[in-house]
Amino acid sequence: MSNVTLYSVSYLLSDAVLRAIGSVLPRPLSTWITNADLITGIAVLVFGALLLAASMLNTIVLIWWERKLLGRFMDRRGAMHVGYAGLLQNFADGFKLFRKTTVQPREADPLGFYTGPTAYMVTSMILFGILPISSGWNSGFLPLSLLLALAVFSFAPLFIFVSAWSSNNKYSLMGGMRSAAQMIAYEVPLLLAVVAVVIVAGSFDLTTIVYEQQNYWFWGPLAVALIVFFAGMLAEMERIPFDLPEAEAELVEGWNTEYGGMLFAFFMLADYLRALVGSILVVLLFLGGWTLPTWVPAALTSFPLAGIVWFMVKTYIVFGVFVWIRASLPRVRTDQLLRVGWNRMIPLSLLSVFLAALLVTVKCLPVFGCVPSLGV
Amino acid sequence: MSEMWINMGPQHPMTHGLWNLRVRIDGETVLDVDPEMGYLHRGIEKISEDRHYNEVITLMDRTCYVAGLAWEHLYIIAAEKALRIQPPERADYLRMMCEEFQRIGSHLMWYAAFVQDIGLMSPFLYGMRDRDLVLDLFQSYTGARMTYEYMRVGGVRNDLPPGFTDQARKVLDWLIPRFKEYDQLCLGSDIFHKRCDHLGVLSASDCIRHGVTGPMLRSAGVKRDLRKNRPYSLYKDVDFDVAVADGADVTARYLVRMEEMRQSVRILRQVVDWLDAHPGPVMAETVPRWMGAPYAPVGREGYLLKRQYPKGVGFSSIEEPHGEAQAYVVNEGGEHPYRVKFRSPVFANLSAARTYLVGYHVADIPPIMGSVDVCVGECDR
Amino acid sequence: MSSEITAKEKPGEHPVLWVARPMATAARQFAKSLFRPSTIVYPYERLEDPEFRDRLEVASGKPFGVGHVWDNYRGVHALNIATCISCNLCAFSCPDVCIEMVSVPGGDPKHPKKCPQIDYGKCSYCGFCSDACPEGCLTMTTRYELSTPKRSEMVYSPEKLHEIFRSKLPMNPIRLARPENEDAILLDPPLCIGCNACSRDCPTQCITMLDIPKPEAKPGEKLPRRIWKEPVVNDSDCVRCGTCISVCPKECLFWGTRK
Repeated sequence: MSNVTLYSVSYLLSDAVLRAIGSVLPRPLSTWITNADLITGIAVLVFGALLLAASMLNTIVLIWWERKLLGRFMDRRGAMHVGYAGLLQNFADGFKLFRKTTVQPREADPLGFYTGPTAYMVTSMILFGILPISSGWNSGFLPLSLLLALAVFSFAPLFIFVSAWSSNNKYSLMGGMRSAAQMIAYEVPLLLAVVAVVIVAGSFDLTTIVYEQQNYWFWGPLAVALIVFFAGMLAEMERIPFDLPEAEAELVEGWNTEYGGMLFAFFMLADYLRALVGSILVVLLFLGGWTLPTWVPAALTSFPLAGIVWFMVKTYIVFGVFVWIRASLPRVRTDQLLRVGWNRMIPLSLLSVFLAALLVTVKCLPVFGCVPSLGV
Repeated sequence: MSEMWINMGPQHPMTHGLWNLRVRIDGETVLDVDPEMGYLHRGIEKISEDRHYNEVITLMDRTCYVAGLAWEHLYIIAAEKALRIQPPERADYLRMMCEEFQRIGSHLMWYAAFVQDIGLMSPFLYGMRDRDLVLDLFQSYTGARMTYEYMRVGGVRNDLPPGFTDQARKVLDWLIPRFKEYDQLCLGSDIFHKRCDHLGVLSASDCIRHGVTGPMLRSAGVKRDLRKNRPYSLYKDVDFDVAVADGADVTARYLVRMEEMRQSVRILRQVVDWLDAHPGPVMAETVPRWMGAPYAPVGREGYLLKRQYPKGVGFSSIEEPHGEAQAYVVNEGGEHPYRVKFRSPVFANLSAARTYLVGYHVADIPPIMGSVDVCVGECDR
Repeated sequence: MSSEITAKEKPGEHPVLWVARPMATAARQFAKSLFRPSTIVYPYERLEDPEFRDRLEVASGKPFGVGHVWDNYRGVHALNIATCISCNLCAFSCPDVCIEMVSVPGGDPKHPKKCPQIDYGKCSYCGFCSDACPEGCLTMTTRYELSTPKRSEMVYSPEKLHEIFRSKLPMNPIRLARPENEDAILLDPPLCIGCNACSRDCPTQCITMLDIPKPEAKPGEKLPRRIWKEPVVNDSDCVRCGTCISVCPKECLFWGTRK
């Protein structure tokens, strides 16, 4: 299992395809086409394509998952007609958005109007190149992958603000301002909560952080950090109760009011990409990544790609909690949001850092390993 | 950010209908508001002058599309006074049942829209789901879910179908625990209190000065309910309490409406029991033929038929779900009312917008306006 | 009566742990609707199907009603051409003017039989027409699906309405409660010229022209030029459609209470 990695799969694919082509070609061409450099180069491209396809597919399934879950919370069924249980509904929606004309307001600034959503989308997709999905299923060994992921994650307010400002709409502008204020306010506690994790794990590498959780998942010792991180993620993902930037009731659609067609689809997809990344980060940092407790029967953990399967299950469950929150809570007001962010979340996150340092210093972490309910 | 005007409406998720709220803001603070109504003006009062007395009922359902039966009731009382017709007692009870069910339906619709305004998603569907049962009941005896056309001058169109009262009791039993669920979702949430307490305060004196009535007035602590203060129909025969709250804020309005729904259930239980025990005619015996659904044609040349009708005027005011509605019908002896005039409570409630909106945040506008319970149809008529 | 209560005095719920209570409520609803959400998957499940309704009521615990909920629905009309007497009352009572009387085969060539043709693009389903119908031949059914890509197909001819009648859909059984002392057609005798127009056009043939004695002309007085007959209305057969009033050339018929 551990020898199968994303790169090895793409290398095998590229190798097989190129050799198949080479076998039918005449002599000089076939040796050229099957040389090692070309195979490696194509393998990198295949790698990227696989990553892209996997992330997009996951995002679309995530939207389906949210629709179905939200439906049950609301005493209805969600999408039903296209595909089995509406699985293909989002593809139909995406195709419809793809076919639509992109309308640009006359007074809008084309540069910002078009680059905003595109950059938002691209930066969100970069994240998938960073996050490990299972052992070996990542894009390589990055010692600071957590830091990189959070850095890329926090690009978003800039692009949101650019696209909001350039759409030349008062609602968009207000939404953009709110978005920027909110994301900056919640970036700090989010990072401090991550610092607590890093203190306990002793590494910025996500893979290492997951392996550090072999004995106990971090949600036990770092419960405070988890709460802060979860709330911060809600704000970063702009979901209820922190979805003020696109507060439908007063701001129409917030910063993407003027966007339609594929540009709107970019925003929508990127939002859910970020939601997926948020859930993945929660799983990686606090819920043991792709590992399972030892009391789980071996049959459940030893089948091929078990790591990825359990990882996705955990991710979708975490996202389900986000949906649950969305289904049951109203949205807060801007000033309340900022007050909670600065007055509550930052002290809490500082407390979590302190607790993490305390735990590490007095070396009482293994205590958590003794309680089976808290993890392995 | 400097000051600017923004238009919330006519197409805006906050408006719940077709009206415009112009807001002058400084950053997120509301400095001034200017409600503009009239986008949905259909001239119902003028059209009524060209309609037969019973045909006006079809317009009443469209005047307020969430409380059609209450407006039918309002018009019918005025028209019957103008025409000097006395409905039978059972018809009055049926109308009271209509109005109270309509109050529940309208308040559920308000609840759904209001929670959507503060960002709650699932209670929106709970409210609509439970309103659907009320609509099912309407459908079972009036034949339609939204445009009922049930009341007639001199009575109501038809009696209840068999088994209706049992079904109505079942729905009432189903509704009471749902109200508790609504309270859990709203009052049980800290965020709800953060959003709605001390918001959109409109004091009792301001209410009276602006002519604000209904749940908004009662939320300011004024015990005024026309069903109690000036009982029309047969409301003096049923036992209920007036829901009053103090605070005059959004939460108080929520509490008043929730309590009103509970009181409506209480009234309905009595009314349904009465209807079970007292069968009888639902149409007055003294209604002239031309008051029935078919009416005489006006002839090829369009002259009015030579018929001397009794003249008179009728005035009625009822406690509609949104507030105190009034109707004035002038009967000059023709087939059609000479003049029909309605007083819409929503118009007054909206006109006071400047008093209860200025000074709050932009994000507070949807909950405050949601708590007003806007029905633009009856506001613009 | 008991005293007025203050709603604030007994607020239903208080926040527990910030948001624990609403989240618990939502979770409870989630658990309930996992089994059977309230959604009715419309084209496949229909609320007008009583068996489905009963199953739904059992499955969801919601009072969806048994049996009677649907039958009174005011949907598309059904017309029994055979019993239609062409009295025009449906067309007269229509507030939307969506009913037009068109000729159908049958009836004598002098007085062609006319039946209602309904434009559903205009119809508001108020049911005044079926209330007005004295013979009960125009009723409303539970059918409600009539979307069509063409506007012309929204106009239902009498034959098409008759097809709906023959399909034996549940008809709206509710009839308007009729008042006892209906107004009757009265005659202003001095104006009448005995022209037979009312009797000829009466859809129920309840007007008979009776001979009246020709008065003796006094000296110097000129008798009016007229046929010495007068209409007599059979009140029990009369459907009060007012056709006689509208065809009367002398405006001598009117509504009134018969003494």
